Amino acid sequence: MFPWTDGFRWTVNHIVFLSLFFAVVLTIVTTVVSAARRAAHDLHRHSAADICWKSDFAELPVSERRCRHELAGRIVSRTCDNAFDCRHCSKYSELAVLPAAGTARDLAVNYSKDRFYHRGHTWVEPQEDGTLAIGLDELAEHLIGNPDSIAMPELGSEIELNGSAWRMKKNGKEIQVRAPIEGKVMAIGSPKDGWYIKIRPRLDPHDPATLRHLLRGPEVHGWLGRELERLQLQLRTPNTAPSLADGGVLIDGVMDAMAEADWDTVLEGTFLEG
Amino acid sequence: MSTRYGMVIDLDRCTGCGACMVACAAENNVPPLPQATSRTGLTPMLVRRVSNGMEGQARREVFIPILCMHCEHETPCVSVCPQQAVELDKGTGIVMQMPQRCLGCRYCMTACPYHARYFNWWDPAWPQGMEKSLNPGVAVRMRGVVEKCNLCHARLHSAKEKAAAAGKREIDPADYVPACVEACPTAAIQFGNLADKDDPVSREAHSPDAFRFLERIGTEPKVYYKSGEAWVRALKGSVSEVEVKRG
Amino acid sequence: MASTVLTDRRWIERGAERASLPQFLLWLAPWVVVLAVGIYAGGLCLYYGLNQTNMDNRFAFGLWIFFDLSIIALGAGAFFTGFLVYLLKRTDLRPILNTAVVVGFICYSGAVAILMIDVGQPLRAWFTFWYPNTHSMLTEITFCITCYLLVLSIEYLPILLRNRQLRKLPSFLVFEHQLHKLMPVLAGVGAFLSFFHQGSLGGLYGVLRGRPFAFRQGFFLWPSTFFLFILSAIASGPSFLILVTAAAEKVAGKRLVPREVFQRLAFISGALLGIYVIAKAIDTLIWLNITSPSLGFAPWQFYIYRPFGTSLLFVEIVLFGLIPALLLTYRRTAARRGWLLTAAGLACAGVVLNRFRLTVQTLALPTLAFDPFLQYTPSWQEVASFAGVIAYGVIVYSLSYRYLPLFVQLKGDRSHVSVD
Repeated sequence: MFPWTDGFRWTVNHIVFLSLFFAVVLTIVTTVVSAARRAAHDLHRHSAADICWKSDFAELPVSERRCRHELAGRIVSRTCDNAFDCRHCSKYSELAVLPAAGTARDLAVNYSKDRFYHRGHTWVEPQEDGTLAIGLDELAEHLIGNPDSIAMPELGSEIELNGSAWRMKKNGKEIQVRAPIEGKVMAIGSPKDGWYIKIRPRLDPHDPATLRHLLRGPEVHGWLGRELERLQLQLRTPNTAPSLADGGVLIDGVMDAMAEADWDTVLEGTFLEG
Repeated sequence: MSTRYGMVIDLDRCTGCGACMVACAAENNVPPLPQATSRTGLTPMLVRRVSNGMEGQARREVFIPILCMHCEHETPCVSVCPQQAVELDKGTGIVMQMPQRCLGCRYCMTACPYHARYFNWWDPAWPQGMEKSLNPGVAVRMRGVVEKCNLCHARLHSAKEKAAAAGKREIDPADYVPACVEACPTAAIQFGNLADKDDPVSREAHSPDAFRFLERIGTEPKVYYKSGEAWVRALKGSVSEVEVKRG
Repeated sequence: MASTVLTDRRWIERGAERASLPQFLLWLAPWVVVLAVGIYAGGLCLYYGLNQTNMDNRFAFGLWIFFDLSIIALGAGAFFTGFLVYLLKRTDLRPILNTAVVVGFICYSGAVAILMIDVGQPLRAWFTFWYPNTHSMLTEITFCITCYLLVLSIEYLPILLRNRQLRKLPSFLVFEHQLHKLMPVLAGVGAFLSFFHQGSLGGLYGVLRGRPFAFRQGFFLWPSTFFLFILSAIASGPSFLILVTAAAEKVAGKRLVPREVFQRLAFISGALLGIYVIAKAIDTLIWLNITSPSLGFAPWQFYIYRPFGTSLLFVEIVLFGLIPALLLTYRRTAARRGWLLTAAGLACAGVVLNRFRLTVQTLALPTLAFDPFLQYTPSWQEVASFAGVIAYGVIVYSLSYRYLPLFVQLKGDRSHVSVD
């Protein structure tokens, strides 16, 4: 700047002013660069998916953040404050021992008592060889019907819990299916196989804590009931009052049958996008 | 001994002819600006006409040439310019404006208590052929910058070159005369070194009839005015110290 | 609800109620026209020079400088809210934080845009950084405002990145998350910068020896106007936020922030305004009795010109100062919508009047014994640019409201889940 300007002299003024200015600029630049570097670091490690999920979770409406224990009927009402991460929930152990409600009502979709369900409508089934099979639950499959295309992950790649497992396309809408558990992709399936991918989990598959965050048994019943109610409200004809019909079975291929509905909203609510 | 260039302007001799204004404009390449008004014109030297507010036989008027006062102490324009485009030259006492560094923020114009600074509201333009009359020693300014009297610094520069060419260390005072001083037909404007006790201008500045405008603000201007008339000397005060009609 | 007409639903937050796209475009249309006219007027000034304005050698600062000073004072709500939320941990004010950042960004970017037209040689703006004059208040302002605009842009970025479609890119979301964690640092820097430049804007006039109407005694380096400007800015900033949010609620047709937020802001604004009124009264007395006479100017002389009579002093300190301070701090009146908005409006008007008196009245008043009192009316180009910047503000705010999460939705609790 000015040290080489004719007649310049350093005064206290200059020193104070310039040091303050450069201190401020340095702070701002360091903050931005530091944030960028940490972000790049996160993207290389596994934590990016976790951060994105937590951010998306915060954007979900309260009605879609019901605690699993509320869905199971163990408690009257609770909003999840931990991004559905029951593995690291301080309240889990005290709530899990409470008695669950019964499963009296009939559901319009089927579910399996042997499978573990993720809130993004995928299921996990432990296989004999220690891998885990992952598939789409009946509600999601019936909603989509026949997908126009499916983009599967590469064999050997890693998928992250709540990150992207695979993508599907239907009627011009893109659906990102969230992974119910983290691990390495060992096999690729298809809707005809009944499963989509098989993974080798990063955590021990025999440890009950590994699958703790997934719903099972009577919880699934309560959860699917709520999901069907949500669908009925979101798929109703516009300008009509909401009504909740009982009984009946979800038809296969709702996206084709009700093409004019607001599928952006329905799909985002179903697959838990922000 | 340092040099402190200053002026003493004898208001009793000023006839309001305006020759100083014309000479200043010619020396400093001031554009004609036919579209300018009295408030947007470019007049580094400006002669004001002031009356004593009375009518009929009691009416008196005086012509006051206003130019940059080259304030010596806490020069208002120097302290406020954000990019040091104006500075008080320690060697000569001249407050120097650098139009090529001026941003045109006009803060100095608000700061100057004497309203001696002028802004280039238009691009400078001369009628065809008139550019031959431009002074090659003075740079033309662009629009959007502030300018003011700089005591014809180009003439000081020429005087220095002449002295250096002759091998001398000091300039000959007769070589450095600002345009307004040179043009004044009644020699109302006197120019000299206020720091030199032997300089007649320095003696004049200390005479009892000499005064400076707005002395109480404390800017120590180096342009003195002189008048034998008490009512004229009273004009040196602020607007509240003097009840006078505007002329 | 599917729609075959023009729609931008995928850009709007899920579950958020917004007007249809045609309705929104209809709302934007007149503002875009005003902005276009403003850009044209500004372009004229840049192309032909500042002779397009009605400023002259005696009125070197005009409508634009008055606008700059006022808008920067009103935009102080941004740094002050950030300071309160991040540094003083007043989390009850969180709902208003995003809108405060957007308002601040609009105010400062608008002010800088006008400044670029106002100076005679905008391309030389970087000279201040290369040849800074550490004695000049304007240097300090230039440095601080440039840095602060940068800080505001960085604070605006996370809000932008939380748009429904933009957040789908993982790198954006992760960057936003990391930036958000460092917000307290930026809030601190913003508060530091704002303190200095709000004050320096006051110092701009307080140091003018040649203008005894504006000149003030000081503490150390800074004239009293330095501190008065900071006080009036942080007093009116929250009031301005109240007004902007209330206007947004009116246009959107629904409540956007909890009632308590308005009450808190009102109380903070009123309390600071009360302190400011006392400080200003003391300062005015000192100036009237000591400072001005010492420079040879009898203060009563400043008030003999119509319309700048002593009633203006009364209006500024009492009508636009003391009264809104009382209304805003008294719980009963602050709780009623009508009183709240009136009081907030009066507070903002007070700050604007104060800036007006210091920019325009200072230059109108004579200094030399034979100076006349001067008049100044802005030209249409000045008014159009002024209006253009206001339109720009409305447009940016409208776009931010429509596509970005400006307000935490009242229906559900959307507090951030901590990621540690």
